Amino acid sequence: MITADLALAGLDEPALVEACLEGRPGAFDLLVERHRRTVYQLCYRFVGNHEDASDLSQDVFLRAFRGLKSFRGQASLSTWLYRIGVNVCLNRVSAKTLPSESIDERQFEDARAQSPDDRLLQEERGARVRAAVAQLPPKQRATLILRMYHEMSHQEIADVLGSSVGAVKANFFHAMGNLKKLLGDDT
Amino acid sequence: MDHLKPEEVVDIAEGTRAESSAPHLSTCELCRTQVREMRAMLSAVADVDVPEPSPLFWDRLSTRVRDAVAAQTPSRPWADLWTWPRAVVPAAVGIAVVVAAVLLGSRAPVPPVPGAPAVAANAVNDRDALGTPDDASLNFVADLTAGLDWDAASEAGLTAGGSAEHAVTHLRDAELRELARLIKEEVARSGA
Ligand SMILES: [Zn+2]
Repeated sequence: MITADLALAGLDEPALVEACLEGRPGAFDLLVERHRRTVYQLCYRFVGNHEDASDLSQDVFLRAFRGLKSFRGQASLSTWLYRIGVNVCLNRVSAKTLPSESIDERQFEDARAQSPDDRLLQEERGARVRAAVAQLPPKQRATLILRMYHEMSHQEIADVLGSSVGAVKANFFHAMGNLKKLLGDDT
Repeated sequence: MDHLKPEEVVDIAEGTRAESSAPHLSTCELCRTQVREMRAMLSAVADVDVPEPSPLFWDRLSTRVRDAVAAQTPSRPWADLWTWPRAVVPAAVGIAVVVAAVLLGSRAPVPPVPGAPAVAANAVNDRDALGTPDDASLNFVADLTAGLDWDAASEAGLTAGGSAEHAVTHLRDAELRELARLIKEEVARSGA
């Protein structure tokens, strides 16, 4: 079990980044601990399978570690990590075709407060949507994921992707159109 | 008549822009359909969670990241060479090569390589002409070479032959003359 140093636990984001830069033991561990779920989910939505999402998450944090000196708090740490995450994912999807998720990977889905039938239906619908999202063209995919699942504004997405708000909205529009085609009658 | 732009459809479907601000909507079935479909998709796509991995996964991920970071983190002080400005490292190594060459050359003259042209002999003579470096020049070279790690420089591909000995035995006549001049100049400048 990995537990970050208690003295570090109270640090806010800028102080934690400083602690990482000073090489304080456990500081980067804590940064990873705070952001690993978000980064993993971003990667998973991008690639649609657990194995690649794990590898990509590791890569995102490794790049973050290397680039921490260049992070000067001009954006929030999570926006900065999103930017790294999206770049890592875009590079990966342009480099190879990834397998989409299998039924086995859905076994840990939260199943509270649902009847078995409802749960099964929702799981199936979720899997179809995730698989369709993972087939979108990369930029549309990034835009849709950040907008729908990471609650980012169009402006924040534009900052992450290095594009304009207009381009983000156009990408989002086309992403939704393509998703509708991919899902067919399911919607 | 101009249809709504994609960003206008998005804004209206998301509710950040009022339908009343786009009078075109009331007259165009195509645009109304686009807004309606966009809203349906927003609702269909929302709340689709990522499957929760095994609870053990998170610590495993942290461990993987820590191992990867540790593999990247330099454990040898010479790796700090890489944090120096790019132009400084080759310059420092270059100076160190020159200085080490002088040191080696003055302490143990390199015998002429069999079959080498006459300039090699001249080179040795020129080195002899430098004489034994005085204390000031020794201090000077000591300062210059302090903290430089030859293995590191070599590993980093910053030295051509891999050793100062190699460097000194491969200096040409003109280079040795220039070296002698530089050393004398530096010794004079350092207040000898
Ligand atoms: Zn229209």
